[in-house]
Amino acid sequence: MKSFRYISANTVQEAVALLKDYKGNVKLIAGGTDLLGVLKDRILPGYPEVLIDIKTISGLGDIEEDAEGLRIGALVKLADLAKSPLVRKRCNVLAEAAEAVASPQIRNMGTIGGNICQDVRCCYYRYPDQIGGRILCLRKGGQKCFAVQGDNRYHAIFGRDACLAVCPSDTAIALSALDARIKIASTNGDRVIPFNDFYRTRGNVLEADDIVTEIQVDQVPDRAKQKFTKVRSRKSLDFAIASIASIVTVEDGICKDARVALGAVASRPIRAAKAEQAIKGEAIDILTAGRAAEAAIIDAAPLSRNAYKVEVIKTLVKRAILS
Amino acid sequence: MKQAISLSVNGELHEVDIHPHRTLLEVLREEIGLTGAKEGCGRGACGSCTVLVDGQAVMACMTLAIAMVGKDIRTVEGLAEGQELSPLQEAFVEHGAIQCGFCTPGMLMSSKALLLENPHPKKEEIKKALSGNFCRCTGYAKIVEAIAAVAGDPK
Repeated sequence: MKSFRYISANTVQEAVALLKDYKGNVKLIAGGTDLLGVLKDRILPGYPEVLIDIKTISGLGDIEEDAEGLRIGALVKLADLAKSPLVRKRCNVLAEAAEAVASPQIRNMGTIGGNICQDVRCCYYRYPDQIGGRILCLRKGGQKCFAVQGDNRYHAIFGRDACLAVCPSDTAIALSALDARIKIASTNGDRVIPFNDFYRTRGNVLEADDIVTEIQVDQVPDRAKQKFTKVRSRKSLDFAIASIASIVTVEDGICKDARVALGAVASRPIRAAKAEQAIKGEAIDILTAGRAAEAAIIDAAPLSRNAYKVEVIKTLVKRAILS
Repeated sequence: MKQAISLSVNGELHEVDIHPHRTLLEVLREEIGLTGAKEGCGRGACGSCTVLVDGQAVMACMTLAIAMVGKDIRTVEGLAEGQELSPLQEAFVEHGAIQCGFCTPGMLMSSKALLLENPHPKKEEIKKALSGNFCRCTGYAKIVEAIAAVAGDPK
């Protein structure tokens, strides 16, 4: 790996001040399971001069409960999320999502903050510099998106915006369905925004001196059925080719509430709002589930090699509603 | 800028003088001479670099050595008691769980981490604990059997 300077931050204030001082020539490192891969392959035109280790900041690694739900520190490890009795009790879909990530080793290292901020996996974007030179795609400020006419099997079916790479985070899909909130610290203080406003077409809304410090999740009512399903080629390590987080409340056969988020289909988690509308207040059966599935993909614009995702998503939506 | 740090590996302190961009895997192999952990992919996907840090299985190739000061690092070299192989290592030998041996240190450390947390895992739990470790030779069955033999009856 190319060299960098290394600084451990002891407080959030110290970390954001360092981010501001080094102005873009700097990266934060928590678990490092995404960052070190990015640096080893030198996929980006720039390379950080400094790494700021935030694992040494205390107070960001706890899961606390309050009257509304949970406050999850950004440094909470995925493995700890997956087995936390608090998370399992109050928002189990998040525990299921955390458990689906990568492998045991990566779950022991990776944090929820890192998981939602991780960079995309597009094979052109991720092409290593060592084998012929990195690919300067549209996302990196180049002229062309190679997925448009290239291998786009794993790319987006929603949104023909500038970048077709999908959001690779599993926990993000659960947090989207949960209508979570995300707390961000900067040199200007803290702010809390809806999690569903966190992503943009390319990356997320974090500014140069921002750090994610906390995820806030409101408790899911006991009567709701929560599930996270990750469709992928292998049972571990692979990223999703399609995923779904659903929180559906059915009473006496009638759907009282539905929150459905779709993953690996766009640059952000997609709330299947039309599907949610289609079943709220309706009796749940194969017909209504089918209508919701059609509503979920009505705006899909698949690429040359990923139309299969449309069918997979329809099935995932149907199963989520009928289960 | 090199930094002189002290790493605790298998209960012993090692003083090393390293750049911050060196991974734990590089430092274990090249500075400390413990070549059990292997570089298979270098990207945290194959598990052949698995070591334990504070009892948790991690990918040493995706860990900065400089961030491991004060941690309890365990490698495959620390499993044996002097010349005596550990029960886990014996089981691997007896059950034919080793062919080329490249994945073996990682497999041993992932299973060690499992048994530390869950001394009597079921077969599904064993497979899940190994889901971050690739083997190209054995087809995994003997490895799972070896661990199941050490685990005894699942509770």
